[in-house]
Amino acid sequence: MVMLRYRYLFEQMVRRELRSKYKGTVLGVLWYLVNPLVLMAVYAVMFGVLLDAVQIDDYPLFLFLGLIVWTFFSQSLLASATSLVEQTSLVSKVRFPRETVPAAVVSVQLVPFLVLLAIVAPVAVVIRGTLDPALLLLAPIVACLYAFALGLGLMASVAHAYFRDVQPVLGAALLPWFFLTPIFFRVEDLPGLAGHDTAEALLRWGNPVAPFIEAVRAVLYSGEAPRGATLLYVGAATVLALGAGRAAFRRFEGELAVVL
Amino acid sequence: MTLAPGEIVLADAWRAFNVRGDRGRTLKELFTRRTADPLDSVQALAGVDLRVAPGETVGIVGRNGAGKTSTLRVLAGIVPLDRGSAECGGRVATLIELGAGFGREFTGRENILLNGALNGMGRRDIEERLPDIIAFSELGHFVDVPVKAYSSGMMVRLGFSIAAHLDADVLLIDEVLAVGDEAFQRKCLRRISERIAAGATVVLVSHAAGAIERTCQRTIVLDGGQVVFDGPTAEALLHYHSMLGTEAGEGATERRPAPHRKVFVEEVSLFDGEGRRRQVFAAGEPLHLVLGLGVRPGAQPCRVAFELRQASGQPVFGAGETIDLGGRPGRLTFEIPRLALLGGDYDLVVAVQEPGDPDPGIDRLVGLSVAETPDAEGVADLRGTWRLDTVVPT
Repeated sequence: MVMLRYRYLFEQMVRRELRSKYKGTVLGVLWYLVNPLVLMAVYAVMFGVLLDAVQIDDYPLFLFLGLIVWTFFSQSLLASATSLVEQTSLVSKVRFPRETVPAAVVSVQLVPFLVLLAIVAPVAVVIRGTLDPALLLLAPIVACLYAFALGLGLMASVAHAYFRDVQPVLGAALLPWFFLTPIFFRVEDLPGLAGHDTAEALLRWGNPVAPFIEAVRAVLYSGEAPRGATLLYVGAATVLALGAGRAAFRRFEGELAVVL
Repeated sequence: MTLAPGEIVLADAWRAFNVRGDRGRTLKELFTRRTADPLDSVQALAGVDLRVAPGETVGIVGRNGAGKTSTLRVLAGIVPLDRGSAECGGRVATLIELGAGFGREFTGRENILLNGALNGMGRRDIEERLPDIIAFSELGHFVDVPVKAYSSGMMVRLGFSIAAHLDADVLLIDEVLAVGDEAFQRKCLRRISERIAAGATVVLVSHAAGAIERTCQRTIVLDGGQVVFDGPTAEALLHYHSMLGTEAGEGATERRPAPHRKVFVEEVSLFDGEGRRRQVFAAGEPLHLVLGLGVRPGAQPCRVAFELRQASGQPVFGAGETIDLGGRPGRLTFEIPRLALLGGDYDLVVAVQEPGDPDPGIDRLVGLSVAETPDAEGVADLRGTWRLDTVVPT
């Protein structure tokens, strides 16, 4: 209800965030797109060609789908963590629904993600021949991913406002997290995991980002509906993250003007 | 409880702030300093009760740290209470800090849109008001220049123009009007008056008695987080000044007479034509300046002078008189039959110059305010009548 009344504020904040981020740079908003493209090229050459470590068809495509999901997720988390602190003057001097600050930041990250997805999806459909009714699942999966990142972002933003180590801790955690996430590999392909079912399950289900990547890949790369368990996991993770994020934000937003 | 638009209820409001641990806490501190040191805690509000009816204008005065800004922030809903309740009816607009919520990289126009949105307005509402806001701000083409190039006066213009056009039911203003040129301040006050006439409630926090006197019928004096006086503005300001006076605070800054002084000013009082002590006058009223003079043995004839200055320090009027007290304390009165000053805040400084005294310095400084005179601009009250005679062409 409140968010409805303030939707123009939300729109303004997203626009402001988008522009202020890259104001004065030559490529402007395009910078959002450069990062994942460069990463994709590097990993494709390193793992696919130089190391020759993977036997995955259309490896750059496989890689790219994982990368864009991961980039959106990690950038959303990092950016929302500092979002409230960066808007101190606003939060401590004006009354408005403070959720709009981290929500705007996460939404800004959604823009390059959607652009990249719009570019890669037709390519995937053509190369992989994945024109399948399962494609319709892409929209709800992306919506879930957004809500999931938003939930965690709400938590991160308010936590960082109280304790300024949150963002550095997140930054440090995201690197190992990246390598443990099935972005440039498939869990079932890992030779070291053979016979270690618990470790495999942990890698697959212990990491909430993995099922999102798996779901996107199932639809775009494999041309099939994601497994029921995966979809269930995605839905549950979304509801849980958003619920916990909103609850945490409600609980702690009151003192924001004081702690900032 | 639903309040009528413009109604304000603050009931038994308590709020403490942690002075030390507020900024930049880290996890390490959480583990090393588990219990809060009570010495770090400041009770900003200690049981404040305030009820404001729609259409009222309320001033809040008090020393630094008396809880003025905390009251405003609590009313605005920016800071929650520890205990008690704070509620405002209808749309609330705040002007708490200069340029709060302005993106420095963005133009004035863009910031108008953002600020309107921050106050819960939709796109159509804001775009409808945009021309009025820009016109009111008088920023001209600067409205399309990034705010980082603005002076503080320009920031006030922009901030106030936005807040004044939000059609708020409750307007919370903290000191910001003190910056900016006088003509614009007057325009702001006029605009506030219009809002009040339309049923809005205004709460104005200020050190400057003048701004409060000119806008508020009712004033609250805060001290130590508590309401120590709540009543008509004139009485409240008297109470506030006497409170400051007893502790030689602001408003009545003085110098203790140097021991070598044989004649010194003990007291400066302003009275109206009926002999009532006043701090605020209407333009054109009589004003009697009464100086209580003290003497020490060996006092000689000396010159007593006063000067009236604008708040900016610009002299407006000065006069002096050579007197001989004959070794006894006395009272020197200067009668102004008609105070020919327009609305504004003035300072009155008094000095005594004894023979062989090169620089008399300032013995006493008191504040003096003249009530708003919306129909004229400037300092001197030369208000007259217009007459138009048409000339018949030959």
